[in-house]
Amino acid sequence: MHERLSFHIKRDSVLHRLNPLTKLTLVLALIMVAFTSPWYWTPHLLFLFVIIPLSFIGKVFREFFFAATRLILPAAGFLFLMQAFFQPIGEHVIFKFYFLDITQESLMFAFKNAMRVIVMVSSFTLFLLTTHPSELMSDLTRRGLPGQFAYVIISTLQILPQIQSKSQTIISAQRSRGLDTEGNFFKRAGSLVPLVGPLVFGSLVEVEERAIAIEARGFTSKSIKTSLYEIADTSFEKIIRWGLIIIIILSIVLNIWL
Amino acid sequence: MALVNLQNVTYKYPLTKTPALQNINLQIKEGEFVAVVGANGAGKSTLCYTLAGFAPHFFKGEMSGSIEVAGKESSKSTLDEWVLNVGLAFQNPFNQISGAKYTVFEEIAFGLENIGVPRDEMKDRVNDALALTGITDLADRSPYSLSGGQQQRVALTSILVMQPKLLVLDEPTSQMDPIGTREVFSVIRKMAEGGMTVVMVEHKMEWIAQFADRVIALKDGSILLEGKPGEVLTSDVLAENGFGISRYTSTAREAKKQGLWKKEKLPVTLDEAVEGFKK
Repeated sequence: MHERLSFHIKRDSVLHRLNPLTKLTLVLALIMVAFTSPWYWTPHLLFLFVIIPLSFIGKVFREFFFAATRLILPAAGFLFLMQAFFQPIGEHVIFKFYFLDITQESLMFAFKNAMRVIVMVSSFTLFLLTTHPSELMSDLTRRGLPGQFAYVIISTLQILPQIQSKSQTIISAQRSRGLDTEGNFFKRAGSLVPLVGPLVFGSLVEVEERAIAIEARGFTSKSIKTSLYEIADTSFEKIIRWGLIIIIILSIVLNIWL
Repeated sequence: MALVNLQNVTYKYPLTKTPALQNINLQIKEGEFVAVVGANGAGKSTLCYTLAGFAPHFFKGEMSGSIEVAGKESSKSTLDEWVLNVGLAFQNPFNQISGAKYTVFEEIAFGLENIGVPRDEMKDRVNDALALTGITDLADRSPYSLSGGQQQRVALTSILVMQPKLLVLDEPTSQMDPIGTREVFSVIRKMAEGGMTVVMVEHKMEWIAQFADRVIALKDGSILLEGKPGEVLTSDVLAENGFGISRYTSTAREAKKQGLWKKEKLPVTLDEAVEGFKK
C-alpha cells in the first residue's frame, strides 16, 4: 500500500536537521540569485558548487540524481531546444532548418535559461527530499500560518493516492457490470461518466464525515495549538536567514536598478 | 447528579419533514455504560450527533428541548467548547483519519495538539492511550496502510486520548473480528469503571448484554424501551418491532414455545443459553 506519501527521505544529516524555514529561505535565495545575477555563469556555478554539494551533505545524492535525470533534465532540455530555435537574436548562425535557425547567441541564451530552471527545480527538490512535510507545516503554523491552510496542504498530499486507488476500485466495479472502457477515443471518454459520478459524490460525502471527525478532535479550538515535535531553531540559523533575506532583497533591488 | 440530561428533545435535519428524534427524555449517570439499539433510520446516529453537539451546531436544522452534558447547555455553547467534554467516534474509520499526519502516533496526538496540551504531557498521554487499546506496535505505521479494524482502533484511541467526560461511539467495532470486538468492549468497560460515561450504538447484542449497564431501544426517533440489558434485549416488544435480536434469545424463545426452555428469563449470551438448557 501507499506507505510513502511524500518525497521526504528519512536520513540523519545537517541538512535534515536545519529548520525548515532556513531551508526554504535558502531555496528562495538560490532561485533569486540564479534569475537576477548579471553574470552569465551564475546559475551554472550555483548548480555545480552549491546544489550538488548540498545533496551530498544531505546524504540524498542518489535520490536527487534520480529526480534530476528523470524529471528535471527532460523538462530543461525541452526548454533549451525551444529557446535555442525560437530566440531571434544574434548573427552567427550555426545551424539552419527551413525558417528556423540557431545562432551562437540564442544557444548561449537558451543554455542560461535552462540552467536557471534547473537551479529552481533542483533546489526545491532537494528541499522536499530533506524536509518532512508535517515538520514544515508545524513550523510554519508555529510562526503564524493559519492551521486550516496547513491542513489543506498536507491532507491534499495524503488524500491524492487514496482517490487514485478509489477510482481504480470504481473502474473495476463498473467494468464488472459491463462498462466498456476500451475502444476509440469517444467510447473511452463516454466511459468516464460512470466513473466521475461516484468519485465526486462519494468524495463530497467523505468530506462531511472528515469535517466531523477533525472537529470532534478540537480542530477549531480557540486555544493555542501545541506541536508534538520540537523543531530546532538556533540563533545561528536566524542570522543565516537574515543574511539570505538580505541577499534576496539585494538581488531584487539590483535587478530593478540596473 | 446526571452527567447527561436530555429533556423533550426533538430534532429535524434541514430540508426534511419528519423529525429524526422525537421527544427524547434521557438521563445518564456519570460512569454509566449505555448501549443504544435500533433499526436503520431509527435515529441512533442522530442521537450520537446530538450528544456530541454536531446536531444542531454542525448540521443546523431545528432543535427543541434542552440538552445538558456536564452541567453545560448545548444551545448556549459553541461546538469547539462542547467537544472538550464529549468525544465522538463513528463507524467509517477511513473518514476519521485526519489526513494531516503521517504516523499513527502523530494521528493520535492530533487532537491534543489542537487543544494545546504541552508536549511532554502529550507524549505520555498518547503512549498510555496506545497501550490501553493495544496498538503500541502500530505507532510508526501510516494510518492509511492499516486494515479497517486497525483503523477503527486508531479512531477510538484518537478520541480516548482526549479524555472526554462523555464518550459517544457509533458502531465502533463494525469492521472488527470477534477478538478485536471483545478487546474494545473490555477497554470501554474499563473506561466506564474509571468514571467515563459511555453511550454506544451497537448491533452485537451478546456483547451489549455482557458489558453495558443499560440499553435504550430506539424506534422512529423515539425511545421504545429502556432498562437492563437482560430485560430489554429479551423483551417480546423488541422482537415484535423487528429489532435484531441475539440468536440465543430467538432460539430459546422457540424452545419455550415447545416447552424445552424451563426458565422464565430468556438468554442473550451463549453462556446464559448453555446454563438454561442444562436445567
